[in-house]
Amino acid sequence: MDDTEPDLSPTPSDQNSPSPSLSISSSPSLSLPSTPSSEGVGELSLVIDAEVAQRACQEVLQKVKLQQVEGDVTDPQDRVGQDPPGPPAPALTPTVKPLKIREEVDDPEGVAPGSVKSARRRQRHNPSKQSWLLRLFESKLFDVSMAISYLHNSKEPGVQAYIGNRLFSFPHEDVDFYLPQLLNMYIHMDEDVGDAIKPYVVHRCRQSISFSLQCAWLLGAYSSDMHISTQRHSRGTKLRKLILSDELKPAGPRARRDPLTLTPFCPVTSPASGGEHSLSPSKRTHQRSKSDATVSISLSSNLKRTASNPKVESSQDEPVRLAPQREFIKSLMGIGKRLATLPTKEQKTQRLISELSLLNHKLPARVWLPTAAFDHHVVRVPHTQAVVLNSKDKAPYLIYVEVLECENFETSSVPIRIPENRIRSTRSVENLPDCGMTAEQRAGSFSIVPNYDNDDEAWSVDDIGELQVELPEVHTNSCDNISQFSVDSITSLESKEPVFIAAGDIRRRLSEQLAQAPTTFKRDPEDPSAVALKEPWEEKVRRIREGSPYGHLPNWRLLSVIVKCGDDLRQELLAFQVLQQLKSIWEQERVPLWIKPYKILVLSSDSGMIEPVVNAVSLHQVKKQSQLSLLDYFLQEHGATTTEEFLTAQRNFVQSCAGYSLICYLLQVKDRHNGNILLDADGHIIHIDFGFILSSSPKNLGFETSAFKLTTEFVDVMGGPDGDMFNYYKMLMLQGLIAARKHMDRVLQIVEIMQQGSQLPCFHGSSTMRGLKERFHMSLTEEQLQLLIDQLVDGSMRSLTTKLYDGFQYLTNGIM
Amino acid sequence: MYDEIFAKENPAKNNPRFWDELFLMKVNLEYLESKLESVDGEEVQRIQDNINSLFHHCVQALGEEHQIKVVNALQTLCALFRGVHQKNKSASGFDIINMLMGFDKAEQRMKDLMERLDSLLCGDGSESLKSLCLKLLLCLVTVTDNISQNTILEYVMINSIFEAILQILSDVSSRGQHGYDAVVLLALLVNYRKYESVNPYIVKLSIVDDEPTLDGMGMVVHQALTEYNRVHSNHSLSFISRTNEAILLALYEAVHLNRNFITVLAQSHPEIDIAVTPTTPTPTTPTTPLGTTPPSLDMMNNPELPLDPNLQTSNLLITFLKYASIVMQDTKDEHRLNSARLCLIILTCIAEDQYADAFLHDDNMNFRVNLHRMPMRHRKKAVDKNIPSRPLVCAVLDLMVEFIVTHMMKDFPMDLYLRCVQIIHKLLCYQKKCRIRLHYTWRELWSALINLLKFLLSNETTLLAKHNIFHLALLVVNLFNMFITYGDTFLPTSNSYDELYYEIVRMHQVFDNLYCMVLRVSTNTGQWKEAASKVTHALVNVRAIINHFNPKIESYAAVNHISQLSEEQVLEVVRSNYDTLTLKLQDGLDQFERYSEQPKEAAFFKELVRSISLNVRKNVSLNTLSQDVLLKEFSTIS
Repeated sequence: MDDTEPDLSPTPSDQNSPSPSLSISSSPSLSLPSTPSSEGVGELSLVIDAEVAQRACQEVLQKVKLQQVEGDVTDPQDRVGQDPPGPPAPALTPTVKPLKIREEVDDPEGVAPGSVKSARRRQRHNPSKQSWLLRLFESKLFDVSMAISYLHNSKEPGVQAYIGNRLFSFPHEDVDFYLPQLLNMYIHMDEDVGDAIKPYVVHRCRQSISFSLQCAWLLGAYSSDMHISTQRHSRGTKLRKLILSDELKPAGPRARRDPLTLTPFCPVTSPASGGEHSLSPSKRTHQRSKSDATVSISLSSNLKRTASNPKVESSQDEPVRLAPQREFIKSLMGIGKRLATLPTKEQKTQRLISELSLLNHKLPARVWLPTAAFDHHVVRVPHTQAVVLNSKDKAPYLIYVEVLECENFETSSVPIRIPENRIRSTRSVENLPDCGMTAEQRAGSFSIVPNYDNDDEAWSVDDIGELQVELPEVHTNSCDNISQFSVDSITSLESKEPVFIAAGDIRRRLSEQLAQAPTTFKRDPEDPSAVALKEPWEEKVRRIREGSPYGHLPNWRLLSVIVKCGDDLRQELLAFQVLQQLKSIWEQERVPLWIKPYKILVLSSDSGMIEPVVNAVSLHQVKKQSQLSLLDYFLQEHGATTTEEFLTAQRNFVQSCAGYSLICYLLQVKDRHNGNILLDADGHIIHIDFGFILSSSPKNLGFETSAFKLTTEFVDVMGGPDGDMFNYYKMLMLQGLIAARKHMDRVLQIVEIMQQGSQLPCFHGSSTMRGLKERFHMSLTEEQLQLLIDQLVDGSMRSLTTKLYDGFQYLTNGIM
Repeated sequence: MYDEIFAKENPAKNNPRFWDELFLMKVNLEYLESKLESVDGEEVQRIQDNINSLFHHCVQALGEEHQIKVVNALQTLCALFRGVHQKNKSASGFDIINMLMGFDKAEQRMKDLMERLDSLLCGDGSESLKSLCLKLLLCLVTVTDNISQNTILEYVMINSIFEAILQILSDVSSRGQHGYDAVVLLALLVNYRKYESVNPYIVKLSIVDDEPTLDGMGMVVHQALTEYNRVHSNHSLSFISRTNEAILLALYEAVHLNRNFITVLAQSHPEIDIAVTPTTPTPTTPTTPLGTTPPSLDMMNNPELPLDPNLQTSNLLITFLKYASIVMQDTKDEHRLNSARLCLIILTCIAEDQYADAFLHDDNMNFRVNLHRMPMRHRKKAVDKNIPSRPLVCAVLDLMVEFIVTHMMKDFPMDLYLRCVQIIHKLLCYQKKCRIRLHYTWRELWSALINLLKFLLSNETTLLAKHNIFHLALLVVNLFNMFITYGDTFLPTSNSYDELYYEIVRMHQVFDNLYCMVLRVSTNTGQWKEAASKVTHALVNVRAIINHFNPKIESYAAVNHISQLSEEQVLEVVRSNYDTLTLKLQDGLDQFERYSEQPKEAAFFKELVRSISLNVRKNVSLNTLSQDVLLKEFSTIS
């Protein structure tokens, strides 16, 4: 867009009222502020660090202010900013304080974002008051959400450049949330926005491998809707190539050595952190973990690395910065593609297991799951635990991944491989006397790893002799400590008196035993995931840990991930962002609506990963396996209606229903059959699969016209349509909607930016944004809103289409 | 020139370049061997120096750069070993060593030889050379019928080539070409004087924990067994191919000696069913380098499994079970009987191993195992396609049941039956201990066991002449006792416990007769008195069940005026009358004797190794003939 357009105001809604400030905006002095940033764009070798960025921010601000002072009303506060540029912190604080006071005076609510919004609103209606914008930018209240919004809405390059620089001062996690928005703007908006964003992205890429990959994946995914010819030369594609070429390394030793760098670069591994992970100094070189081998091979250097000297690795690690992780992801995708060619679930499952067992041979490596919340290295995939998920023609699958938590996956050394068979000596089940194990070995076997290489010494000829000595099994301990349960033969050995047991007792114990574990699902080759998902997460973790050669390590963790191949997860990501935003809004406003946004990793426009919801199975699986109504299932799982447990579960159910009802209404989530609604162990429902939201609905059959899914079964769990809980449900929805309405902009912004350049079905048509905005009903009074909620609930309850739709799903997909 | 060696004179005396020239010439193996054989006692003494010299120069030639010389030297050595042994079959090992190398120098010569072979095997040299080295070693190891009498091997023990063998197995391409020979060689070396002395190969094999190597060994065995299964399925049942005892022995030694090998059994492979000869390197091996290639590179040439949807995933254990099902079908042939026995021994070792049990029972590892079933007149041909995918232990149990029902014949394989029943017992013990409720059709097992008892009863006299049938009967009855007393810990449903009672009551006559029989034998004085009385005691609970429920069932029939009660009705009677039945807790039902090779199995393994040696020797000699081809290959190269 042209810079000369005489409109500085950040909001497009503004009238074209010329103001004195606009001439300034296009003045050469204002394009100056982009100084450090535009240089950074030009030559990538230049280091952009936070300090420089800070300074740049200051300069831009100064410039803008100076102009303003000259041409417009001068506010006494602004003079503070006129002082010669000092250290960043003091320059900012004085301006903020008075501003805050004024805000509080103006806005009695005083709640931070609220006041900001009012400020913003004022800004809109009074474009001439440029100082407001400045103050806002400088104020503490100016957060990432606003930055993104101004970046998107402002057509003023100066403002854009300023915000681009300002990004450096936000916490990484905050910006990361808006990464899809940032990158989508980078791809699809004009040059100036791109130039404003790029330095920040490049800077972060230099710092972090995972950020680099995130960017590369998102850039690829959001560029895909462009025409192929333009795509190839687009900015997004270029940046993606640049990132993947791995040229964006932490800039040189200068930056590293510089102790003043504000943002910490990955420090050279300290011997301490390296030592932490040098589990077993292996003397056999071929046992060494492979990434180490990569390093030495790729460098074709003969640097002899030992575990005691991890420094060599960390400093030489750069050449393969991105490669291991990319290959890891590629292998997972490859498996998904190959699984899709197999006709039956059973074959898929078997194939999956064997493919993963191959993958295991390459672990541990410097790879990680991007969906996890902490730094780690993947050490093992317990392949037999993986399951193929229910899907008609694609083959999404769920894997569990054993990882070792570490300080920093980029610099901490990769754990050393422990062979699968190492586990055998530590197995807790191992109650049988170990034939031929000497006491010394037995002692050694508990701390297997350190003893790893001492086998040669430990095994003497005598051991072999002993191996062949017949050891009649002596049951020294009765492994059944539940003695009233199958009396162990040991008891009868001790007392020579014959022991009698009643056949009836045995039979009773059998039935009781079986009845005790009613909540496990029966194995079904057509639905292999049901059993795996039903198992309580804690139990699964314990079980897998027990069976893992790495399980004894204190930093061992279990993660899981769903690998989707052939599915576009961009809409899912959008939904995740909206859900996350609403969740934080509700938290902020203290309304107890419950939703569970699950993490989405978009790898390309047709692949990605999903963080599974643990301890949850789909309503379909619940109904199919239990053959009970939802209420009866609740009774079975949580106890009678009067018990504490049931009431808690019921409350959870209601709070989550309210949350998701609103979500479904606001986002127009469709395809709400029972396979897409999960029920967790605490009674929460969790909606999954946001493939049909906003403007898209499945097959355009016109089904599912109701606002959200509320079957009589749901209402029954809530205690019927006249119960207190049902009223609570409606009240929660009202509160939730009011809260959401208050922060509507934060939600709209997420969606609006992503609409740019997108061919996603959820943006089909021209009314997507308008429709979304309307569903917040800004114009209604709270009483009217209450009425609306009642109508929506009534409509959904009476809706035949929900029922019809379930029937339709049953017919076509076999989902109950 | 050979003649010159057999002359008294030192052949190099007149021609200083004699030895150099000798190894440039093509080896005439037959001539050399026959020449050695034809030498008689007196002459031997005279030409011994020359033979020593020849041996010495052979060893030296192995270090030559000229590959022809190396080839010739290897072949000459082969002929020397053979010829000298052939000639002196009765001679003591020491005499042979003396004749070949000379006592005083033997140690040094053999050390040199082994070192040269080791470096040839581990080096980057020609694959054909490596193959020849292995052939030479196989030839050396099998020159005597009884491997333990081959004194030269003492030097092979001291100068171990174990590491070289492992290296071959750990590398994908060398494994493809030489894996089979390497595995057989290893299996044989392990059996050298295994009961009499310390065999370093046993020690070393038992501590190998390098995954690629163990996987490599597994792959070689897997391929060999697969090949057998494939050949078998392509031919009619009457086609009797010789079972591969050597490979089976290697599998046994690995499973028995190496605790780490167990994991290899469960390692998944794509089924290499389609005409892949065991000697071609398979690019699809899943065990491609572990520590050898960096992850990035490695992942790029991801050894993707072939994309054939019809390809079943398999693992060594599945292949082994299939193999066992074929081998066990017909045990009349001596070799097959041995193979079947060895299969059962391997299964015994597996059933005793905690880790193996864990994956056998792993609910997440379901497989469809197509066992071969003997076609029998009274049995409907099983519909193979409908076998459900189940944990592997089901296949093991199926195999045991299959064996039990198909081998009740005059020439009763008592030993195999005992092993079979013990394997089942070990599996039950594991299930009981770990409270694993396997969804298995236990009924099939029960009825097979009852039929076995019935067979023992009806053939009492003939069988007793050869076997202690009471021991087997005791084991069988105790299996029932396991179910009766500990059924609550491992049966899958409450109904299955009722069904157990139903089956016992239904077949009560068999148990009644058995009781009568053992009672009779135990009251007489005779060699079986004690064995039989043990069975009487073991039967106490079974008899209690029969005596408790039979009258109840009869009265139920009488009251309801039904002549023939349906299964459901009987089950109903059983269900409602448990409470008045008291059982006696028996000792040690859940304990078993662990497998040990010595002393019980020692004789079997000695014989087996002898048979394998003979077979290997035969095949190696065939191969040496075809090495002309090899020679040509080299002459064109050089």
